[in-house]
Amino acid sequence: MKKVGSVKYTLGLLFFISLIVNSFTVSARGVYQTNQDFLTETFNSVVPKSKVVWLKGELALTITEILGHKYAGLRIRYWRNDQRSVWILEEIGKEQPITFGVVVAEEKIETIKVLAFRESRGGEIRHPAFTQQFKQARLDNMQLDRQIDGVSGATLSVRAMTDVAKLALYLDKFTG
Amino acid sequence: MNRRMRSLHRSMGAIVAIFVLILATTGILLNHTSDFELDKRYLTWDWLLNHYGMNDVQADAVYLLDRHTISQFGSQVFIDANPVTQSHLPILGGIIIDDLMVLATEDALLLFTPEGEFIEQMGDGLGIPETIQNIGLFHGDPVVQTRHGMWRSDFMLDQWEQLSLEGVGWSEPKVVMPASVQDALSTYFRGKGVTVERVILDVHNGHILGRFGIWFADLLGGFLVLISLTGLWLWARRSL
Repeated sequence: MKKVGSVKYTLGLLFFISLIVNSFTVSARGVYQTNQDFLTETFNSVVPKSKVVWLKGELALTITEILGHKYAGLRIRYWRNDQRSVWILEEIGKEQPITFGVVVAEEKIETIKVLAFRESRGGEIRHPAFTQQFKQARLDNMQLDRQIDGVSGATLSVRAMTDVAKLALYLDKFTG
Repeated sequence: MNRRMRSLHRSMGAIVAIFVLILATTGILLNHTSDFELDKRYLTWDWLLNHYGMNDVQADAVYLLDRHTISQFGSQVFIDANPVTQSHLPILGGIIIDDLMVLATEDALLLFTPEGEFIEQMGDGLGIPETIQNIGLFHGDPVVQTRHGMWRSDFMLDQWEQLSLEGVGWSEPKVVMPASVQDALSTYFRGKGVTVERVILDVHNGHILGRFGIWFADLLGGFLVLISLTGLWLWARRSL
């Protein structure tokens, strides 16, 4: 009788642990902030009219060099006022596109955020503890001027965010 | 005892012979995969591809725009047989304005060149009306029907005004896609087919029959052991 009780207890515990593990896995996916909210927050509700940059010729080649592949689209939309430019960019983590919002001011990253995450793993990159590494990062010879520490189990997501940061800095300079 | 053993040996010999022939033939062929280029020859029989789980997939949505076929399989959007972008929401319709092919989902517009190259997704943050249900044209201007009314824009697609119009040419889905595109998509999903080498190997090891094939191959192996033992036993008895 005691044995049955301990088996039940063990099974219950395993079930509970699997629930916790599953909830962490599922919680990584989702839209954390809409593009509109990100823009409104960045520009204090006065969102400038969007502009587009067409990815042609030399620019397209440079972007391919930064990302290691062609950007998914022929043009990129951005918003700029006197102080900053805002870029909403998508990059594949492992299999699904991650939507990033990047604010660039004075050729340095002011903010980088995960706006939407669709992968099942690697969502840890959205935490401020990770994103703050990018603050004030600049582009130096097509690389960030600092080392970005990785996150265990989120290597591809970290790479995606790093590439997007470089891309936003490059585009800011190109369109500035 | 001797007679019974001989009878068992004969019966099993007859059963096993045909499978030994198959094993021997497939084994010889596998030994010469490179010579016969079995790894470069493909089989594309429907029943075989279905057996290998390479079934034809049905498009979730199909639209015809100009000379192009737009289709969606899960989140993957195709123009003709080319995967062009991903959309996690269903395509609800499409139009052509100026030099743009525009597809609508519930919360975004997907823009393509007339050749089918993906330009960008215009959605949240760009003033696109929400809860889109369909897209159409009114005297060349793009119009979207949403749950909260009808909206019209121009070729820039960034300014929308709410109004009510009659006579909008709404986009309509197609039930079937052109056969040439269907064939090209089948090739995309199924690849070149299954190599002859793979089929022969699966016949050789029983995997062609799935889980039962492996057990069947085990059973056949058991028979071969048994026939060897009965043969040895008969030979030993005759030698004595």
